[in-house]
Amino acid sequence: MAGLLQQPGYEEERLQRISELLPCREVQAGLLLSLMGQPQQYCYPSIFIFGHRSSGKSHVLNVLLKELELPHATVSCVECVSATLLFEEVLLSFFGSDAASLLPRSPSLSDFVRVYRLHRSQFPAKQTRYVIMEKAELLRDAEANLLPALLRFQELVEDNVAVILLSEIVWDTFRPNTGCFEPLLLHFPDYSKGELQQILSRDRHPSYSAEFYSSYINILLGVFYSVCRDLRELRHLAALNFPKFCEPLEAGKVKETDTHKLWKNIEPHLKKAMQTVYLREVSSLQWEQMQQVEEHEAGALRGLSAHTHVELPYYSKFLLIAAYLASYNPARTDKRFFLKHHGKIKKTNFLKKNEKTSNHLLGPKPFPLDRLLAIFYSVVDSRVAPTASIFSQISSLVTLQLLVQVSHDDQLDAPKYKCAVSLDFITAVSRTVNFEIVKYLYDFL
Amino acid sequence: MSTSSLSKGCFVFKPSPKKRKKALGLESYFIRVCEGAESSQLRFKLCQDLWDKIKTETEVLQDELNRTVLDSLLEFIRKCSSTRQHDAWASQMRASEIPTAALMLGVNVPDHDMTFQSLSELLRQSVTPLVASIQAKECGALKQLMKKVLEGLMDTEVDDDSDDDEEEEEGREQSQLRRSMHCSLATLCDWYMSKTKKPCGGTLGKKRSSSVINERQPPVVIIFKDLEAFNPRVLQDFILICSRYIQRLPLAFIFGIATSPSTIQRVLPHSVSSLLCIELFQSLSCTRHLTTVFDKLILTPSFPFKLNGRVMQVLMSVFLYHDFSVRNFIKGLQLALLEHFASQPLSVLCCGKEEALRNGARLGPGDLERVRQLPSFGRYVEKQEAQEQDELMIDDNYLKDLCQKLIKDLHKYHKCYYPILRCLHTLTSSLPRYPLGKQIRELHLICLERNVWETEDYQSAMKLLKMMAKDELILLLQRCAEILQTVKMKNDLVRLEELLSRFKQLDAAAETVPNVEENLISPAKNLQKKTDLFQLQKTLLEMNESRRSKKLTPFQALRNEALELIDSLVKSYLSPPESKPLYEACYYSSSAAVRRHLNATPRTSIQAALSSPHLYLQNDSLKTEDGTVSNAAPDICIAYKLHLEGGRLINLCDWLEAYATVVSAAEGNDPNSDSFGKVDEVKHAHFIRAVSELEFLGFIKTTRQKTDHVARLTWGGC
Amino acid sequence: MSKRKLKNAHLPIGECVSQVHQILRERFCRHQLPERPAGLEAQHKHLEELLKRTAVHGESNSVLIVGPRGAGKTTLLRCVLRELSKETEVQKNLLQVHLNGLLQTDDRVALKEITRQLHLENVVGDKVFGSFAENLAFLLEALKKGDRSSSRPVLFVLDEFDLFAHHKNQTLLYNLFDVSQAAQTPIAVVGISCRLDVLELLEKRVKSRFSHRQIHLLSSLTFPQYLDRVRAQLRLPDDFPDGSFAEEWNASVKSLCEDGSVDEVLRRHFHSSTDFRSMHALLMLCLSRVSVAKPAIRPADLLDASRLCSADTKVNMLRGLSVLELCLIIAMKHLNDVYRGEPFNLQMVHNEFKKFLQRKSNSMYNFEHPVVMKAFEHLQQLELIRPVDGSSAKTQREYQLMRLMLDHSQIMEALQKYPQCPTDIKQWAASAFA
Repeated sequence: MAGLLQQPGYEEERLQRISELLPCREVQAGLLLSLMGQPQQYCYPSIFIFGHRSSGKSHVLNVLLKELELPHATVSCVECVSATLLFEEVLLSFFGSDAASLLPRSPSLSDFVRVYRLHRSQFPAKQTRYVIMEKAELLRDAEANLLPALLRFQELVEDNVAVILLSEIVWDTFRPNTGCFEPLLLHFPDYSKGELQQILSRDRHPSYSAEFYSSYINILLGVFYSVCRDLRELRHLAALNFPKFCEPLEAGKVKETDTHKLWKNIEPHLKKAMQTVYLREVSSLQWEQMQQVEEHEAGALRGLSAHTHVELPYYSKFLLIAAYLASYNPARTDKRFFLKHHGKIKKTNFLKKNEKTSNHLLGPKPFPLDRLLAIFYSVVDSRVAPTASIFSQISSLVTLQLLVQVSHDDQLDAPKYKCAVSLDFITAVSRTVNFEIVKYLYDFL
Repeated sequence: MSTSSLSKGCFVFKPSPKKRKKALGLESYFIRVCEGAESSQLRFKLCQDLWDKIKTETEVLQDELNRTVLDSLLEFIRKCSSTRQHDAWASQMRASEIPTAALMLGVNVPDHDMTFQSLSELLRQSVTPLVASIQAKECGALKQLMKKVLEGLMDTEVDDDSDDDEEEEEGREQSQLRRSMHCSLATLCDWYMSKTKKPCGGTLGKKRSSSVINERQPPVVIIFKDLEAFNPRVLQDFILICSRYIQRLPLAFIFGIATSPSTIQRVLPHSVSSLLCIELFQSLSCTRHLTTVFDKLILTPSFPFKLNGRVMQVLMSVFLYHDFSVRNFIKGLQLALLEHFASQPLSVLCCGKEEALRNGARLGPGDLERVRQLPSFGRYVEKQEAQEQDELMIDDNYLKDLCQKLIKDLHKYHKCYYPILRCLHTLTSSLPRYPLGKQIRELHLICLERNVWETEDYQSAMKLLKMMAKDELILLLQRCAEILQTVKMKNDLVRLEELLSRFKQLDAAAETVPNVEENLISPAKNLQKKTDLFQLQKTLLEMNESRRSKKLTPFQALRNEALELIDSLVKSYLSPPESKPLYEACYYSSSAAVRRHLNATPRTSIQAALSSPHLYLQNDSLKTEDGTVSNAAPDICIAYKLHLEGGRLINLCDWLEAYATVVSAAEGNDPNSDSFGKVDEVKHAHFIRAVSELEFLGFIKTTRQKTDHVARLTWGGC
Repeated sequence: MSKRKLKNAHLPIGECVSQVHQILRERFCRHQLPERPAGLEAQHKHLEELLKRTAVHGESNSVLIVGPRGAGKTTLLRCVLRELSKETEVQKNLLQVHLNGLLQTDDRVALKEITRQLHLENVVGDKVFGSFAENLAFLLEALKKGDRSSSRPVLFVLDEFDLFAHHKNQTLLYNLFDVSQAAQTPIAVVGISCRLDVLELLEKRVKSRFSHRQIHLLSSLTFPQYLDRVRAQLRLPDDFPDGSFAEEWNASVKSLCEDGSVDEVLRRHFHSSTDFRSMHALLMLCLSRVSVAKPAIRPADLLDASRLCSADTKVNMLRGLSVLELCLIIAMKHLNDVYRGEPFNLQMVHNEFKKFLQRKSNSMYNFEHPVVMKAFEHLQQLELIRPVDGSSAKTQREYQLMRLMLDHSQIMEALQKYPQCPTDIKQWAASAFA
């Protein structure tokens, strides 16, 4: 497999090392290398590399450029809140800090190009220079002319420089409406199952044999591959579950070779974990203990997602319930729900035929403050004075993101809100104050 | 968010007297507001001392309550910074992730600040000097967030460093922060490198605590105080950036979360959350916090100042119904304290026993007169026989001596009340259905209100106790004994002890006793909560029946004896404070004032202002017999009064007419001159302004239903 | 040029190959200009005429070179300039100012750039000018200074001309054209733009000052011509050090172009786009495969090169999704079919998905809601789905209305290519009620 990487102009052993550093990416690395050509030769002005997260885009590039010691500047577009940072980064890594300092305050692109040309004429490129843009999709949000300029950077500065854009998003969404220089598109496909196996098996636990670990990885993939192909996530899962996998071994019940028993032991565990894959399920000992103290239920290892319970003041609960009702019931039904003697409202005209999709599909509707309060006063059991703390509770519910203020902040009269909690949450809350919310929900009639 | 803080700011945190306390010349303020001027200085001093005591007490409490969680948090931070050096396999796998502590704080937002403050202090002094804590409202955009973080970190650094470094740090920092667009993590990184290199030179660090010195790489901790409020976009970007530097910069995050852990997932998409290695930490719940505060502050004789039942009720309801904020609870306590010392001249007696006695000896005739006025004292007097009574009414010295005695009694009462209360609570708190409440504060409330032993809850509790299994009972009784041991209540303790010893003998003697009770009580126990009270009562009754039928076993006899002892104790010690003469000196009772301050009702106060302006303008000429409004009152008051008479829709024309009449009556031109009640443009202008003000206050609003009418928005009292 | 003397020397194959790379890469990256711009002789002549008149006889002129991207506008101009610079009096006479709409984003910057390129910074020093016009006038005046009475001609090249039209009041354009009208300093303004409607962008006063000369590079070339172009681009120059290798190479190129499959591939490309750039991209990919091992371009290379170029990127991305995400996409597809492209939100999609799961007995894929949420977020991140309205910060994520950015065929193709795709899902994709 090391033979795949061949390119005149570079030492053999370096290529060798690279191909060891880039498992399962020889093809892409090779293609890239051949496009880059020999160090002094020209490279295509701009290359656009796209592929899913953790498909080794930036890894491959970094390894190549570092190992081959090519002049390069790596810029993450997240970090460049302003284009200035980008310019400085590039100049800094090509020509050193004095170049960067030449830039005026809040420089324009033309300043940048000017400075670049200046230094380029001083130190002409013996090797191709590479500018690497990670998370290139963010360039679209920058000034309109930045991306097109970068794409034809080589031409603008008349230097042997190539710009390589990395992104998770397809190129079609980048193209400005007046068109631009079309970069060379390169796709990094995801790792196949075998490749994943190969890669994951590399980082084995020092105190266990390689076969053992790879067998573990094999089991892991067997469970997770169907739902999760993200290398990083899989690595996380591996790290998370390995101790569990080793438990019987530690206990001395089974031998390393006895894969079946190990599998039997770990399998349910993994199955459970699968339900909550992608949610970083970590919970610490201290917390579990506290939970035990808090509610006297068996604190089985439940992840973040499980703990949606929130402890609220008594009236806040009712306010939240009222808000939920207000945002999921049509206003016209309030009469029927909350009036003690709403005369005879016919089922027929009460239940409109045309509303086929339930409100729980469409999501909450905004409601004015007074409707909220009206419902609140009718659902809360005791008589409550409209004290200041009631209102302050509403606003603190907004702070906690349980309510969302729809109307703008500075609109003081008749603010509108939305309820931002799920049905499960609200049912849990209303259970604690024994209020049967389902009876009051239009969707469940 | 800002609104919320505002509303909290102006409605909850603001007992106005406290403001005064803060202001200069508090004492003079205090003296001005308080009645019974002669003893005011003294009272002020007492009040101050008491408050300081309470304050320190609560702070200590706060710290030791947070101790556990904070310690584990610190441990976590330490660990994550240390594991980065030496290579455990797990940490290797996690090397690229940012260690993150999610701190569950509960919804009592006002209390969080204290926690964070102590947290960052602890971090600074024991783990790392590099701590930046940021709030959502300061970080609308990524740039600001960066800026805040950098400033936070570097400022602490500058403060920490010895002077020679300070200059150059200063300069460096300026150069960075002046060109504010360069607030990038890269600069921070370089700065950090240069900083961590220095200690090897050994130039600085003498000021730092040892743990930091021997650690080459102090972690950089960033505290997000309120995660919910942060703009997700900004947060994500920041985390993405940080993750690029995690190899060079040992970062660690702390998320302050008020609601629930799932918030993290709501705020962060997977691509970001997968960069974090999250650990959860639960700070203790506010209710438990309150319970401890209650124990240490309220249920103790060491603080002479007490609250009566109603005030207690108010404070509790504010806590349980509105905000779970312990801080506010204490503020309420403080308010009550001030009010008490300000309003009650006899509060000079509200202090430690000796001092109280001394003050009692110094009571002036006026004070003694007040003593005579006290209802509790009145009740006491009636109990005495005739000449004793008029002695008390006439002879001041006699009264003084009596006061001394009464004060002693009062203190004794307090001294015994709380231990017994605790005993009763320990006995009853584990009973099915909690007849006397689960929390001791509930029991306390009952006892404050009336004679607890007359309540049927108490009776039922006793019934339940009467059939408690032996070992349990012994256990509880032993606990009670322990409680009594802590305080000096010799004779009761002795009695209890010997009862216990007899129980022991009983064990030794007769194991043979067929104790039906266990298998009787055990159903009763395991149908805790499940069956309803009625059911339970029934079972109990038939148990009693069965008991009557057969003669008592020695154990049962003993048990009854024990319970009688308890009962007697309760009867003798848990009488409500009202029964004690002079209790007004120590008990603050005006719940209305507290409610008005802590749970303000802006609406009603506005209405009060409109309907009786003289209260606010302090102008008695405006005072009228109820219902009517003086025609000399401000325009808006008149307009308001008139609009109350209107229906749902008010005709502006008629309203104006009525207004004009009233006002011209005020001008005092004679009723039967034709100019009377005429609408000139001045009146008109006045009227219009009044109406618009009313609209602004939300009493009326313009309507399209009917031309030149306005809709009325309020009804009746509210 | 050392190549001259070692003509027809035999070089080691590796050397030759690297030479080939050297030459062709420079060509493709448009640093090595062709001898003559292929098929643009007329335009070339025309432009050369114009510029010469300015350069030599000091006439002012203004002209627009208009043509689609990659049609060779810049190349044309540069060829012309090269020709001109051969003539001695021109090169010592003519001053050149190159501006680019991408760089000089407003007139202030542009003016600075002009000053710099005319080497007048020190002359200007820190004078302050009332108006842009004065400033420009001063600059041009400054050129007069010196021994010669008549000032030197200046050539302004405005690349991405249309962008200059967006500047405030089009001050720069106005002044340039104005000067070019007035017979004071001889200047030539050459605008290069890819917008055919570029004239419409000009304000009236600007337009009126523009000599409506336009040079159109509308490629009306036929496939044979295209083929010739390809051959021309690939063939090695005669002064290639190793003559024999050059001949082999050129022969192989010739044969390549005659190959049937290649012909068909090129046709496809020809129909999609005729411009140089896309061709260069294609050829670059081919070239990158040339190595010592196989020192010639094979038809196979061209084939997979074209495959690389013309692959559907979205399908590529779809193949990398997790099964759950794929399921969601299918659910969206069904929703689209049912409600005829009405926007949807996560709840609806999840609902649809649940229906599917209920029909299926196996509970393999029924994840917790938050997990589905994550998957949905990921799709949004990949911009396979887009929120309908921009201002959706207030609405919760699960209720935000979305549109699917894929079409039927893409989804189906992706499903076909998907590694280990469960059959039941395939069926479901085929029909909502499978």
